[in-house]
Amino acid sequence: MSLRVRGLALRLSALVLTAAGAVLLAIVLTTYFLAREALLHYAEINARNKAQALVNRIESVLTPIPAVVLGTVYDIEDLSPALSDADIYKRLRRVLRDNDALYGACLAFEPNGRRPGLQYFSPYVCRTPLGFKNMDLGGPNYRYHAMDWYQIPRELDRIVWSEPYYDDGGGEVLMSTCSVPFHRVVNGKREVAGIATADVSLEWLKRIVAGTSVLDTGYAFLITRNGTYVTHPAAGVAFNESIFSRAEEYGEAHLREIGKDMVRGRSNYVPLKSLHTGKEGFLVYAPLPSTGWSLGVFYPKDELLASVQGLALVTAALGGGGFLALAVLVWFIARGITLPLRRLTVAAREVAGGKLDTPLPELHARDEVRELAESFGNMQASLRDYIRDLTQATASRERMESELRIAHDIQMGILPKIFPPFPDRSELDLFASLTPAREVGGDFYDFFPCGEDQFCFLVGDVSGKGVPAAFYMAVAKTLIKAVAESANAGGARVTDYLPGGVVQAARRCTDPGHILTRANNDLAQDNESCMFVTIFCAVLDLKTGAVRYASAGHNPPVLLRAGKGPEYLPTRQEPVAGAMEGVVYTADTLTLAPGDALLLYTDGVTEAMNPAQELYGEARLLAQARALAGQEPKALCERLGEDVHAFAAGAEQSDDITMLVLSYLGPGANAG
Amino acid sequence: MDFTQTQEGAFLVLMVTGRMDTLTAPQFEAKCLACLEAGSKRLVVDLSSLEYISSAGLRSILSAAKKLKAAGGDLAFCALSGIVAEVFAVSGFNKLLPVLPTREQALARP
Repeated sequence: MSLRVRGLALRLSALVLTAAGAVLLAIVLTTYFLAREALLHYAEINARNKAQALVNRIESVLTPIPAVVLGTVYDIEDLSPALSDADIYKRLRRVLRDNDALYGACLAFEPNGRRPGLQYFSPYVCRTPLGFKNMDLGGPNYRYHAMDWYQIPRELDRIVWSEPYYDDGGGEVLMSTCSVPFHRVVNGKREVAGIATADVSLEWLKRIVAGTSVLDTGYAFLITRNGTYVTHPAAGVAFNESIFSRAEEYGEAHLREIGKDMVRGRSNYVPLKSLHTGKEGFLVYAPLPSTGWSLGVFYPKDELLASVQGLALVTAALGGGGFLALAVLVWFIARGITLPLRRLTVAAREVAGGKLDTPLPELHARDEVRELAESFGNMQASLRDYIRDLTQATASRERMESELRIAHDIQMGILPKIFPPFPDRSELDLFASLTPAREVGGDFYDFFPCGEDQFCFLVGDVSGKGVPAAFYMAVAKTLIKAVAESANAGGARVTDYLPGGVVQAARRCTDPGHILTRANNDLAQDNESCMFVTIFCAVLDLKTGAVRYASAGHNPPVLLRAGKGPEYLPTRQEPVAGAMEGVVYTADTLTLAPGDALLLYTDGVTEAMNPAQELYGEARLLAQARALAGQEPKALCERLGEDVHAFAAGAEQSDDITMLVLSYLGPGANAG
Repeated sequence: MDFTQTQEGAFLVLMVTGRMDTLTAPQFEAKCLACLEAGSKRLVVDLSSLEYISSAGLRSILSAAKKLKAAGGDLAFCALSGIVAEVFAVSGFNKLLPVLPTREQALARP
C-alpha cells in the first residue's frame, strides 16, 4: 500500500520532470545551435574583415611603389637624352632616399636605347650597410635583356611585379621587383626604351603575414600568382611548394579548386581541413590587387566554436542545476500531496480493521484530498451509526426470533402430538401434521373424546399468518374445546376417555354445528381486527361410525371410502367463524364403514405453489389421495406431505400446511 | 392490484384488477375507507377481473364491510368468477355479504 502511494509521488515527479527535462533539453540544444550559427556567421564576417584589413595593410605599402617607379619613368621619358649618366644615378639615389620601402632601383635600357652602340646600360642603385651603392648591372656576364624581370614587362608593356625571390647579393633578403616599361618615340612611333625597376624587400611582408595571430592554431599564408607559397607556417614550404603541389601531394582536389580561385584573384570564405594542423576550419582568402598575390587566413573551427561550446556548457549546467532543483521541488510537492493520502490510508486501514473511532488526519489545505478525507469522515460516522443501529436491530431481531421460537414451541405444544392418541382404543387410527410457513402460524388441528364413544376432531385455519394468526389460532382452538366440553343445554352427560386410559364422567356437547355456532359468537365479539378462522369440525360415534360434521367456510375434506375412489365431502359452505355474530352452523351426517377414512386439510395443501406459480390444486390432491388409498393415516399424511413438498420444488412455503387423517376401523372389543 | 371507480347512481362501483394477497389486501380496505371519507357509503365491488384472493384479502373485505356498515353504508360484490367465486363460496362469504352475479343486479338493489 505504501509502495503504491510512493509510486504516485514517483509517477507524478517522473511525469513533471520528464516534461521539464525535455523542455530544458530543447532550450539548451536550440540555444547551442542558434548561438553556433550566429557565431559562425559573425566569425565569417570577422574573418573576411580581418583578411581584408591585412590586405589593406600590405597594399598600403605596395600600392605607392609603382607610382614611385612611374615618377622616375616620366622623368626618363621626358629627359632621357638630356640626362647624363650621373644625373640618372642621382635621381635613382633620390628615389631610394625618399622611399624607405625600396631596396634598390634600376633603369635598364634597351640595346642602343641610351646611346647608339651601347648594348647594355642599366644603372642600379641599392642600399648597403655602408650607404647607397652605384653599379651597372648589365654586361656580357649579366645579359639582363633575357631576364624575366625585363622580358615580361617589356612584352606585356605594363607594370609587372616579379615573383618573390631571395636576393643573392644583398644578404638573403626576400625581395620582389616592380618593373615598369618606359618608352621613347622613334620616327613618330612609340616603343619601349627600357624597364625601370624598384626592388622591394618583402621581409616586412613576411613578418606581417607570419606574425598575424589567428586564434591559437590558426595562421595566415601568402601565395603568388603561380600559387607558390611566399609565407607558410610550416617550415620548408615557402618558395619550395605551391598550393597546387601541396594539393597534389595530399590528394586534396578541394585545395586545388581553392588554389585556382585564389590565383584568379577572387576572395571567399570556405570550409577547409588544414593540411598543416589537421584541423577542420574555415579559410578566408583575398587578393592583393597590386601584385596579384593572394592572402589566405585559416581559422580552426573548434577554436571558433570554443565560446559556443562554453556557452552550451554553461547553459547545460544551468539547465541541469535547474532540473535538479525542480526535481527536488517536484518531489517535495508530490510528497506533500501524497502525504495526507498516505495518512488517510493508514487511518482507513484502521477503520477497515474495525476501529471505527480511529481519528482521521487533520488536513489544512482546502483541496480534493481534504474533500476525500471529509467524505471519508462522513462515511466513517455513517458506518458507526449504521453499525450501532445494526447491532441494536440485530439484538432486537435476535430477541424477537428467540421469542418467536418460544412462541413456536408453545404453539406446537398446545397441539396434541402423541400418535396413535389412544392406543387402547381399536376403533380408530388417526394422524395429523402441521408444518408452519413461519415460526408461528394460524393453522391448528385438535381431537379429543367428547362423551361416551364420541370423538371430536377438527382442523382450523386462521386468516393471515404470523403472530396475529397464532394468537387467534390459540384463542379459537381453546374456545372450541371449551365449547365442546362445556356443560350447557346442548351437552349430554358422558364419560371422557382421556389419554392414558383415564375415564372421567362429564357433560359434553356433541353437535359440531352447535359447537361452531357458539364458538363463532364468542370469536366474533369485539373482533376489531376482523380476523376470522375456517374450521371443519366433526364428531365420530365410535360404535356406529356415524359422523356429524359442520364446516365454517373450510375446504371440503376428502372422503376415502374403502375400495372406492376418493371424493370431496360436500359441505354447506357456511361462513367463516369470527366474521359475524349470529351465524348458525348446520351439522350434516355421514356414516363411515370400517376401513373408511377422512382427510382433513387446510388450504396450505391445495394452494401450495411451485416456482412457476402453479397451485397444487384440488384435482391433484384427489389424484394423490387415490394413489395413496388404503395406506395408514401416518403413512398417508407423510406421503402426501412429501408430494406437496416435491411439487413446491423449492418454492418458499407461503402458508401453513396441515393434514389430519382419521381412519375408522370399526367397533372394537372395548367399544362398549 | 389496481382500482377503477365509477359513480353509478347511488352506488360507487369499484373495479378491482390483479391479485388480492397478503401484500396487496390492505390497499383494498384503504381504498374503501377513502371512498367512505369521500362520501360514498354504498360501494359495489366488481371482482370480474380479480385473479386471486387470499384469506388476507377476505379479512380486508370483512373489515371494510364492517366499517361501511357501521357508517350506515354497505359493501356489495358482483361478477365473481373462477377461483375468487370458489373462495367466496367455500368461505361462506356469499352468505355473510351481498354477492350478486352481475353488476346490474348489484345496482338494482334498493
